[in-house]
Amino acid sequence: MKMFSKWGWMVIILVFVFLLNGCGFKDIDKRFFVVSIGVDLAKDGPKKYLVSLKFAVPSPSKDKTNEFAIVSEKADSMSEAVRIIKTKVDKEVDFSHAKVIVLSEQVVKEKGNAGIFYWFARRRDIQGIAWTAIAKPSALAVLKVKPKSENLPSNALILSLGKDGSETPYVISEFIFDMKYKLIEKGIDPILPIIEAEKDLFEINKVGLFNKSHMVMKLGPEETKILNYLRKREEKSAVKVKKGNTTIVIDTHKVKTKYKIYTPKGKAPYIKVKVSVEGTMEEATRRVPNEKLSDYEKAAEKSLNREIEKVLVKIQKANLDPIGFGLRYRSRHFNNDDWEEWKWIYPAITFKVHTKVQIADTGLIE
Amino acid sequence: MATNQVQSIKDSLKNKIWPAEDVVFKEFHTKEKYIEALYIKTISDETIIQDKLLKPFFEILSPDLFLDYLQSSPLVIPFESEQKTLDEVIKGTAILFYQNAIYLFDSKVDRNNSVLDTTVETTIQGPQSGFSESLPTNLGLIRKRYPQTSLNVESTTVGTVSKTDVMILHDTRRADTDTLTRIKQFLASIDVHMFQTGEQLLDIIKKSNRALVPVMLVTERPDRVAVNLAAGKIIILVSGSPFAVVLPTVMKDFMSSMEDIYQTYWVTKFLQILRYIGFLTSLVLPGIYVAVTSYNPELFRVQLALSIAGSRMSVPYPSFIEVLLMLFMMEMLTEASIRLPKAIGPTATTVGGLILGQAATEAGLVSNIMIIITSSVAISNFVIPINAFSFTLRIMKYFVLALGTLFGLVGVVLGFFILIAYMVKLDSFGEPFLTLIQSKPRKE
Repeated sequence: MKMFSKWGWMVIILVFVFLLNGCGFKDIDKRFFVVSIGVDLAKDGPKKYLVSLKFAVPSPSKDKTNEFAIVSEKADSMSEAVRIIKTKVDKEVDFSHAKVIVLSEQVVKEKGNAGIFYWFARRRDIQGIAWTAIAKPSALAVLKVKPKSENLPSNALILSLGKDGSETPYVISEFIFDMKYKLIEKGIDPILPIIEAEKDLFEINKVGLFNKSHMVMKLGPEETKILNYLRKREEKSAVKVKKGNTTIVIDTHKVKTKYKIYTPKGKAPYIKVKVSVEGTMEEATRRVPNEKLSDYEKAAEKSLNREIEKVLVKIQKANLDPIGFGLRYRSRHFNNDDWEEWKWIYPAITFKVHTKVQIADTGLIE
Repeated sequence: MATNQVQSIKDSLKNKIWPAEDVVFKEFHTKEKYIEALYIKTISDETIIQDKLLKPFFEILSPDLFLDYLQSSPLVIPFESEQKTLDEVIKGTAILFYQNAIYLFDSKVDRNNSVLDTTVETTIQGPQSGFSESLPTNLGLIRKRYPQTSLNVESTTVGTVSKTDVMILHDTRRADTDTLTRIKQFLASIDVHMFQTGEQLLDIIKKSNRALVPVMLVTERPDRVAVNLAAGKIIILVSGSPFAVVLPTVMKDFMSSMEDIYQTYWVTKFLQILRYIGFLTSLVLPGIYVAVTSYNPELFRVQLALSIAGSRMSVPYPSFIEVLLMLFMMEMLTEASIRLPKAIGPTATTVGGLILGQAATEAGLVSNIMIIITSSVAISNFVIPINAFSFTLRIMKYFVLALGTLFGLVGVVLGFFILIAYMVKLDSFGEPFLTLIQSKPRKE
């Protein structure tokens, strides 16, 4: 057929190829971005879970950017729920911006729900850097909160769980990839922050500690802070010290932690934890002169030693290891039964905590 | 020469030159001698003829003395062949018939010899004047900037009809002889009717006469020519064109401005990096936009993804049509602003750029982000100092865009690599196009 020249054919093929932009091509405005995913236990009915997806609704105008829509579905599995939700929305559900995953307290407390955790890791379109947290009273309630300061749906959660926004030692955040790794790895256990939904804001200052399948115990705000010190993740914090009738608060700007596991032959094994804290005085109930600062440092060291040891022992009693002592032990011992050894050592190990507090000044000019 | 031979040449010349309005054939008589002159007055300088020919003719009475004058004048060349004589006449030489001999009297008029200001490769500092349209003037400008006795000038003609004078300049101590031979062969092999300017060589160099990337640098700056001569490059000057061709040229030359040596070190480095960033932006930005918005929106931050999604809500067409539409309008604007008279140029740009862009978003044809992308592509395109190369870039970005549309981000990467591979294959008279280290003056 000599209808078209060589170039004519080329043009025709090019035109057809441009028309046939397969299934990979989907414009951004034809996608419905999921910003957060919530999983609850279904209250009644035969299905097990209530999965809620929070979609960001893009708006062409500059104001009203935090519009969102929550679509929930009861199902026995995550995949099932997502497939049904797809039939309820007009655009293609896109998980690539799902940055927050909240699981209700009931879900994490129960055994046998680990399949859900792995679902997030298995989906290739959910980013590994999605923040994972425990929701209280329910995941849906957390998704529904609309803080006043938020300019994008779920942005408040992203900011407070990541360190982009507020920096506080009371939040311990966990990525989904890290959570998956800790669920599998011998010698380190997952920790998830607990998000409590209030009317217009969130309160995140507690953590839940997991064993390899479910949440075992919760830590209060102060214990969370201590745990954060031990994980070397946050340096800006406040330490309250009581000495006699005076109470002072140290605003720390440097917290460093080192620990080493000692297994001397014939003696009881112990872990030496060294914490060094630097900071300035922020508040005092009475006048504190500069010369007296070293006394307060001593008092602070003493109280911190006690507190840190308390938290460590509490975690140890529950046979959990969120800091990763077991992993450290395994990395320093190369015998084949190191894990069995550690399982035998850990419940009986003692902690020797040495804190070094340095108060730079009283914060006032005398 | 015998009388009848001269007579026959005279007749045949007269037959071959059409007796046009401006052809002059005249006899001059004194008591003792007479001379005949044949020239074309529009391309001959009649003052030269008057001063150097007619005045002596009437002042020197003795025929023998005048013959001596003619033979010793630097303007006079003896007759060689009929064809050569014809070629000379149509360039403005006068033919003299005197005492049974033929002489060629160089009376070429040198028009357009005023030096022009640079308009294409402007710099803030440094020399501001460019070449003129006259070959001797240009050669003089170069000689003045490059006072070296080793500067060699060879002359040839290109073009079967135009018979354009072309000069090849090089520093005999610095230029590579292999390259020089290649260039001479190339010039000898050119087969075109009309050769007007050096830019024509850009296409002729390819066997298919279809080149995408230029491998010769066309410049209007005598200072650039002088610097390149010192770097061992070979220069081609074309009669009647205020541009010189620098050979061989690699990509680094296209990305360098004369300002690079007129600025301080860090400023130069900054400007060079800026140019390469501009090159990349202009090349891949449209492709990346399509690939990211339509294939991989996870590459954006949430905030940006949502604001792009929001601004694209009212756009009815897929992203690549949106991009094509906007780029097309931008190309139109660029083209139009070249043709427009200088006085209304800015108006058109304002109307086109601002109002059209604004209206296109208002009408929901394109998204806000698209306007930003289009304008940054347009602006960064003109960061490239050499015009010929920035035009090439204008074409190349469509290639990347097409692959990005078909295969997403992988396509953009693929397109970029294909272009790199193409440029790696190129060479400019033996010099690889992507040589990043500029050819330095050869050590003696």
